[in-house]
Amino acid sequence: MNWLSSIADSMALRWEAARPRSRLLIGILIVALIGMVGLTPKSLFGVPLAWPYVGLIAAVGWGRSGIGFGPMVVLVMFGFAQDASQAPWGSHGLANLLTYGLSAMVHQMFDTERTPFLSFILPVVTLFSGITLVWFVASISSGHFVRVTPMLTAYFATLVVHMLISPLFDLGIRRSVPSGGGA
Amino acid sequence: MPRIGGKGYRQRPLRRYGFFVAVAGLLALLLLQTSPRLSQGVEPVRTAASDQLFHVTRPSLIDRISGASAKERRILELEARVRELAQYKALALTMAERLEVYEDILNMQGEPGGAEVTARIMAETNGPFAEALLANAGATNGVQEGYFAENDRGLVGRVVQVGQRSSRILKITDFNSRVPVMGEASGLRAIMYGGRDGLGRLTDLPEQGDFLPNERILTSGEGGLFPRGVVVGHVRDAEGKEIRVDLEMLNGQLSYVRLKPIMSIPVPEAFPVETEVAELTDEDGS
Repeated sequence: MNWLSSIADSMALRWEAARPRSRLLIGILIVALIGMVGLTPKSLFGVPLAWPYVGLIAAVGWGRSGIGFGPMVVLVMFGFAQDASQAPWGSHGLANLLTYGLSAMVHQMFDTERTPFLSFILPVVTLFSGITLVWFVASISSGHFVRVTPMLTAYFATLVVHMLISPLFDLGIRRSVPSGGGA
Repeated sequence: MPRIGGKGYRQRPLRRYGFFVAVAGLLALLLLQTSPRLSQGVEPVRTAASDQLFHVTRPSLIDRISGASAKERRILELEARVRELAQYKALALTMAERLEVYEDILNMQGEPGGAEVTARIMAETNGPFAEALLANAGATNGVQEGYFAENDRGLVGRVVQVGQRSSRILKITDFNSRVPVMGEASGLRAIMYGGRDGLGRLTDLPEQGDFLPNERILTSGEGGLFPRGVVVGHVRDAEGKEIRVDLEMLNGQLSYVRLKPIMSIPVPEAFPVETEVAELTDEDGS
């Protein structure tokens, strides 16, 4: 299995050397792929599968690098693509963008005191707030509180997928704030 | 750490403003859609976007991998065919009723019904001598020599030998079988025999007229060996002076066959017919 580990090492090295723009492009491709599959009916042995909000995963991941124009535009575009199903235009984009901002803010706030616990809890919180935003906008636009259970299952699916692919949404830069500044 | 007053410091507020402008823009877009008129205005965009997205993503990747999409497509095709055939069935039933009425009006001698037997095929001989089937129904089941055999698709053959509990069926694919046939559309008559390639061959073709391409071939009923109108196959192509026929029975199962009696035409009386009336007249006159 040496060749397998050498391939993995080579890919890790290439990823380390990749520029932020390349990383952003790879992230876009991943979101597009998962999102495209998610648009189709999904079931396993007749049981409907919960699909992750991969746009939120990207927002949390890219937000770690601070605010940037590229990710913002991409997240808004992803939001419009998600809205094509039946949501009001801009609702998913808003959720993506606010999650992105929140992720940027909390990572800047806790950047100096990063612990394993924080590394775990920050995405959990930011993703939860993103899902809550989606639920909130959906409830407002439909005029009633929409069902929570599907949102929760989607949230857990998002968390699981986030744990698996979150390194791919690391742009490799830290737009750190000068002392005294907030995000 | 970027220096204060450096590029990063200058760009940070711009990014932040951009972020807030984008959020405000999206909020405004959401609020604008609360107006029914504006909402209706953007619906065509949604429809177009949905069409594009769903066109690209259907069928799903999972369905493609598991083959579910192919099965679903096949089910849809079959459902469409069932709907189509249901229409034909209704039409056929109506026509059958009308035909019955017409035959009653004309006092027409129809094909006789008779004791039909469904038999299981126990053995099949495809040797160089004869292509025959051995069915598990014989004289005790009412089967007689000359019965014809059908499967779910069409004519299979003719009973040439009957035992007590079994009967031998000469298949129409046999070289020695001769089936009087006709084209369903052209109405042309011919004799069909079995070829070596599993196809039927038409011989004794009419001098005028040609069978139509892909035309259905039915039994003509001539000679009384087979009833008229049993499906045999359809015209495949012409090979020299012979026309080849795709046999329908090969498309169906050959595990079970239906053995049916043929119409027996009584031998006509000798002429002149001596009737009782004639005899009575003779008696009065004498």
